[in-house]
Order: sequence, then structure tokens, then C-alpha cells
Amino acid sequence: MTGPAILLLLAGLGAIAWVSARARAMRLQTAARASGRRDAVHSLPGYHGWYVALWTLVPAGIFLAVWANVAPGLVMQDVLSSPAAQSLPADDFSRSAVLGEARAIATGNQAGAFNPLSQGLVEPYKDAIGKYGIAGAALALVLAFAGGAYAFTRVRPDFRARTRVERLVMATLLIASLLAIITTLGIVASLLWESFRFFSMVSPVDFLFGVKWSPQSAALGYGNDDAFGAVPLFWGTIFIGAIIAMVVAIPLGLMSAIYLTQYASPTVRKWMKPTLEMLAGVPTVVYGYFAALTIAPALRDFAVKIGIHGASSESALAAGLVMGVMIIPFVSSMADDSIAAVPQSMRDGSLAMGATTSETIRRVLIPAALPGVVGGVLLAVSRAIGETMIVVMAAGLAANLTLNPFASVTTVTTQIVQLLTGDQEFDSAKTLAAFALGLVLFIVTLLLNIVALRVVKKYREAYE
Amino acid sequence: MTATRNPTDWRSDAMRRRIARRYAAERRFKLAGLLAVLLSAAFLAFLLVTMMGNGLRGFTRTEIAVKVDFPASPLLLDPNAITDQALANANLPMVTGEVVKKALGADAEEWVSPTAWTALRDAIKADPKILSRTETVRLPASTAIDLAAKGKGSSEAEAAVDRLNKAGVLSTGFNMGFLTASDGTDPTQVGIWGAFKGSLLTMLVTLALSFPVGVATAVYLEEYARKNWMTDIIEVSINNLAAVPSIIFGLLGLSIFLNVLHLPRSASLVGGMTLALMTMPVIVIAGRNAIKSVPPSIRDAALGIGASPVQVVFHHVLPLALPGILTGTIIGMARALGETAPLLMIGMRAFIATPPGGIVDPATVLPVQIFLWSDEVSKGFVEKTSAAIIVLLIFLLAMNGLAIYLRNKFERRW
Repeated sequence: MTGPAILLLLAGLGAIAWVSARARAMRLQTAARASGRRDAVHSLPGYHGWYVALWTLVPAGIFLAVWANVAPGLVMQDVLSSPAAQSLPADDFSRSAVLGEARAIATGNQAGAFNPLSQGLVEPYKDAIGKYGIAGAALALVLAFAGGAYAFTRVRPDFRARTRVERLVMATLLIASLLAIITTLGIVASLLWESFRFFSMVSPVDFLFGVKWSPQSAALGYGNDDAFGAVPLFWGTIFIGAIIAMVVAIPLGLMSAIYLTQYASPTVRKWMKPTLEMLAGVPTVVYGYFAALTIAPALRDFAVKIGIHGASSESALAAGLVMGVMIIPFVSSMADDSIAAVPQSMRDGSLAMGATTSETIRRVLIPAALPGVVGGVLLAVSRAIGETMIVVMAAGLAANLTLNPFASVTTVTTQIVQLLTGDQEFDSAKTLAAFALGLVLFIVTLLLNIVALRVVKKYREAYE
Repeated sequence: MTATRNPTDWRSDAMRRRIARRYAAERRFKLAGLLAVLLSAAFLAFLLVTMMGNGLRGFTRTEIAVKVDFPASPLLLDPNAITDQALANANLPMVTGEVVKKALGADAEEWVSPTAWTALRDAIKADPKILSRTETVRLPASTAIDLAAKGKGSSEAEAAVDRLNKAGVLSTGFNMGFLTASDGTDPTQVGIWGAFKGSLLTMLVTLALSFPVGVATAVYLEEYARKNWMTDIIEVSINNLAAVPSIIFGLLGLSIFLNVLHLPRSASLVGGMTLALMTMPVIVIAGRNAIKSVPPSIRDAALGIGASPVQVVFHHVLPLALPGILTGTIIGMARALGETAPLLMIGMRAFIATPPGGIVDPATVLPVQIFLWSDEVSKGFVEKTSAAIIVLLIFLLAMNGLAIYLRNKFERRW
């Protein structure tokens, strides 16, 4: 019996269980009410229905999920013990190739066999799959009936079906919210595990403080020494994300926020604010394409014209500029929030003393809002250094330690993509290095966020 | 004795200059603010205009009108028995080459697209009677001619276009293939349907996973969770997940979903799962805000007439918070739709020439398709990339517009 058919059958059984249990509960309710014992009925009929339906579905469903993982092993065992399996080749690789082909034919995914050996295994495979399929379906149905019958006998006027059903609802909610923890743990565990494997090949000191990055040479067999010094990557990331992008984003974002909150008329504000927010909604791949297609060549031509040596068409400046533009709405909304949080009395006081609006903003509002603005900038930096597509498309791959914004630098995220999109051998230092870079990126963004949120929170408390 | 201070003479020259200076500073500051806003808006406009300028041509194709004398062509087809099989056996690619040579000259075979024969096939299929007469058929031009006609071609292609223009056979038509075809190697023949379908499947998986889990988490944290260490950990995890760079989720998907669970590479299923982990915190945060904004009096009233805590939430609070939750969900989905980096990590950058049939088939998505095309050397891909970007931006705009509409229509101030 196939999977979908069993699921459909179970769903049907569940529906029948719901309807019949509900009908029974309704009869009991009417009977109880007719005899004048109104408070003898605890739950609404629907809850009895759900209770029985859940008892029908949940144990059978759990069993099927477990069975789906166990059955292939049992099938394999059966096939291997069949007489045809005695002629299988001894080495694991060709053995699993033959078995895989036989399975593909048996399940109808492949028409004919390339290997004559697998043809002989098709029949045992079909038998075993059929056998365990029927066994699994039968057991699931038995469980469904048993569960349903047990629950059905409990349908009485004084049975607290609602409490039971709600307990399950609460458990589901709790499990759903635990998923966030599991995801975090998954991230940390996978990064730590693969990084640990990397650091067993390359010393962490070389990785964190080395200045030469050339994983290709390591992959070519020149050894892992001196090939995984990530300092040029860290510098490139800071140069693009924390320096160039911020030089663009902080003045533009801050001044936009000030203009829109302090000077602009409500109509201008109503139209310009969403327009600026659109900058944050444009996908990063679009920014990357724009930077690579339009901005980078223009900047290179400009650099050549003013005579700068070593201008590259994959310059740090192009990637940083476009990234800065992407961050503008982020900085501006954080600045907006923190300026709005400054008490009106401070502003009024300053204006009453005769200060102009700009003097009030520069001498009163911004100093008062500074912690919030700084927190926002830190969040923006963490955003910028984790940004991938813009730098993948517009920044280069050359790991340079340079201060020249027209030269090509590479970043952590660019290298992660570069290392993982080629060949995928999972035991080479080259691919594992990506996870070590990911770990560094994760830790740095996490720290930036924690510090930023703490700063913002402290500052909010100061005015409450 | 303290020295008496003379009152400030506001009319003195010194004071006037000072005030003038302060007012000038005020004007400069205001102007700087205005400039910042305008500069940011100008950048957005520049980006959109560049994409439009490059991309709109991607929706059109150059066609060459070729006079086909069917009876004299080497085509062996019975007009009364036109079947797919007969058309497949008729060696249409060769016939197309011959008729083009005959109509436009010996070197003209290169000018039409390698798939031009499908236009001939469709014409015959639409009206088998044309086999007995001479008929003008519009054939798609090759990439070189297409580029030259749009003003970006090589010199020899330009010369060919000049000749064709003199003959008056060039025209521009809507490139339906761009919306119905999939990835390919020849820029005139590529389309976004495959990537679009991949995006659709991926988004379905993302929505199916992240919406229930996100809403359940929001409900639990906002309505039921007691303040204890576990709740704190959940909250901290969610806030951190919302700020983790998207590429880290790609690393997670690669090492857990692919290397540990052995799910199929480059499938929409894995892409959707990875993006769901990213989208879930967004939905949780939006959901909590929406639930928080439902006034406590609603809960108190429901509890007061005997509803259980679960009934209060599912019968009263959630329906009232739903518009807010949906707005947050749509915004989260829009972000997931534009996401590229994590999908590159799990191998969705493969060359996929056929649209995926299901969620476990190898697929690609629109942003990744854009990334792949942007890497192509052929000049013809520039307009295709920009055209795909236009399609993506239209979808994002529509989703965000829907979110704003929902918010304005259903948002209630209590």
C-alpha cells in the first residue's frame, strides 16, 4: 500500500471518529439535559469529537513516521538475506550502486537495469517492499482503531474532553516555540562542529592572525600552512561594511531622519518615508547587479581619469557605496526612533531659550539621542558585514590588504560563497574553512547585536 | 557690588551679523537634510530607471519576416495529416534553414534563432492550408541580430541588420518565450518560467512551515508563557535569529539538511526549509506585536463568561490579531522571495533547463536565476537579467502593497 493512500485512509478514519464521537456526545448531552442535570455535562460535543479523532490519528501518525525511518533498513536486510544477494560484489561502492539500481527499478523510477546483477535483486526488493509496506499499513490501522476505540469508550457527559484537547494544544504551542531554540542550537552546533574539524587541520592562530589567504593553493596540495590567514578577509569586510558603507549611510540616513521628522511637512513625510523604505525592500541581488553593471565600471573609469593606480572594476568602493545606500533606511529608522524618544520638554526648553531649530537638533536632540543612534549604527554594521550578494557580485576575490578604495578586496561572506559553491568534498580544509569564517561572522554579528540592544535599552530607561 | 550688565543691543551690527550667521547655518542645515532625502530617493530612481532601460528590451524580441513558398520548399508534409509526429519527422530545422537562405541570401541562415523552426511549426499547426501557398512567417532573430537591432551588436551583425532593414523585414514583437521558457545557453531563448515555478514552490514550503510555527510561538510567548528561564532563552533565540546574517542559515541548511539528513540537493524543499527558519522570527515578532495590541478587556470579557484560556485565544484574540499577523507574514515572505545567499549554499545555483515538477526536484529561484545570468559573458544576458529583475521587483511591490492594504483596511485602533 502506498504512503498517500494510507494517509488518506487515516484522515478518513479520523473524520469518522470525529463525527461519531461528536454525535454520541450530543446524544449524551441531550439525555443529561432532559433529566435536568445540566451541570453533569462538562465539554461541548465538538471537544469529544476532537479527543477521539486525535486518539485515532496521533498514535498511528507517530508510528508511521517511525516506520518510514525503520522500514528501509528492514527491507535492505531482507534483500541481503535473499539468495540473489550472495553474488553481490564485495566492495561497498559497487555494492550500493547495484542495490540502488535495483531499488530504483523495483519502485518504478527506472525502466531497465544497466547492471545484470541488479536485475536479479529486483524481485526480492519488490517482495520486501511489499511485505513491509503492508505490515506497516496494517499496524498503523490497528493503532488507529485501538486508539479510537479506547477514546470512544471515554465519551461521557462528565468526561473532561476539553481539558485533554487543550492540553495537547498547549503542548503543540510549546514545541513550536522550542523550535527557535533548536534552530539556534543547530546553527551553533553545525558551525562549531565543522569549525572544529577545520581547526584540527589549521591552527586557529594562523587562521585569525595570518595575512595570506589562498585556499586554492591549499586545495592544490601545497599544504595548509600559510594558506588560511583570514586577516585580509576581515579587513575587506570591515573596509566595505563598516567604513565605506557607513560613510555613506550614517550622514544620509541621519540627515534624512532629521529632515523628515523635524522639518518636512506631513505630506512630504507621508510620501518620502515609504519611498526611502523601498530602498530596504529591494533584493540584495538587484543591488549587487546594479553595483557590478553600472557603479563599478563608472568608478573605475573615474579612477583611471584622475590617475589612481591599480583601479579595479571590482572595487571596494562600488560595493561599499551600494551597500551604504541599502543601509540608509535602516539607520534612518533607528535615528527616527531615538530622536522621537527624546522628551518634548527638552526640545521646548531649547527653543524657548532662543535657539534655532538646527541648534536645538545639533546641541540638544542629537546628544540626547546619541546612545540610540550609536546602537542603531552598530545594528547597521552587523547588517552590512553579514550582507552577501552585493559583495559577491561587486567586490572581488583577491585577498588584498589595502587602503585604496578603488582596489579590489574580498570579504568573509564572498569567500564563504566562493569556497562552498565549487566542489563539495567535506573533508578538505578548503570547504571547512567556510564554516570557520561563518563562525567568526556569527560571533561578531551576535556581539554587535547584543551590545547594540543593550545600549539602546539603557538609553530608553534613562528617559522613562 | 556686582557689575551691572548692559542689556544686549540686538540692533547692533555685531548682533545682526551673528543672527544672520545663525540663520544661514539653519538654512544650510535644513538644505543638507533635504539633500540627503533627495540623494537617497535619486539613487532609488536611478536604480529603477537603469533596470527599466535595460530590462524592457528583454521582454521584446526581433523578428524577421520570411516569405516561405511552401509548395516549393523541401517540406514533405500532407496538409490533411498534420500530427505532432508528422511535424517531428519533417526535419523542420533543416527546412527552416533552406527557406531562410532562399528568401534572404546564402548567409542568412545564421540570422535566425536556432529555434526559429518552432515558429514555422506553430504556423503550420495553426493553419495547415498554408502548405499549399506562399506565406510570410515571422521568425525570431538570432542573438547577434537581436542585439544589433537593439543597438548593441557587433559590426558584421550591424551590417546584416542594415540589409534586413532595407528589405523591410525586421520587426519587434513581444517575447512570449521569456515568460514561458526556462534557463538556457542562448539569451534569445531563455525564460523565467522555470525559476518562477521554483520560487513558487519554495515559497509554498516556506509559508507552510513558518506560518503555523511562527503563529504558535507568538501565541505561546505572548499569552501563556510564564516568565522563567526557558521563556527567556526562547525570546533571546528569536531575537538573535532575526539578526543572524542570511548566509549563516545557508550554512545551517548545508550542514544539517544536506549533510546530516541527506535531503535532495538544490530542491525547493530544502530551500523552503532554510528560508522558513529565516522567516519564522519575523512572523513571531510581528505576531507578538499584533497579539499585544488586542486590548485585555477582550480577554477578560471572554474569560468572564466562561471561556477557557485556549478558547479565549483561538476564538477571540487570534481572529482580531490576524490582519497584523498576515501583514508581518507577507513582509517576511517578500524578504524570503528576494533572498539569494542561503540558497546558493544549498546548491540551488545549478543550471536547471526544465521547470521543477515537485518540491524534491532540482530547482532554482528568481533571485538565483538573476545571479546566474549576471555572471554570463554573452551580452544578450544583460537585458534578460534586468528583465528578470523587473519581474521580481513587480512581485515584491505587489506583496508589499498587499501588506499595506491589509494593514490599512483591517487595522483597528482600540
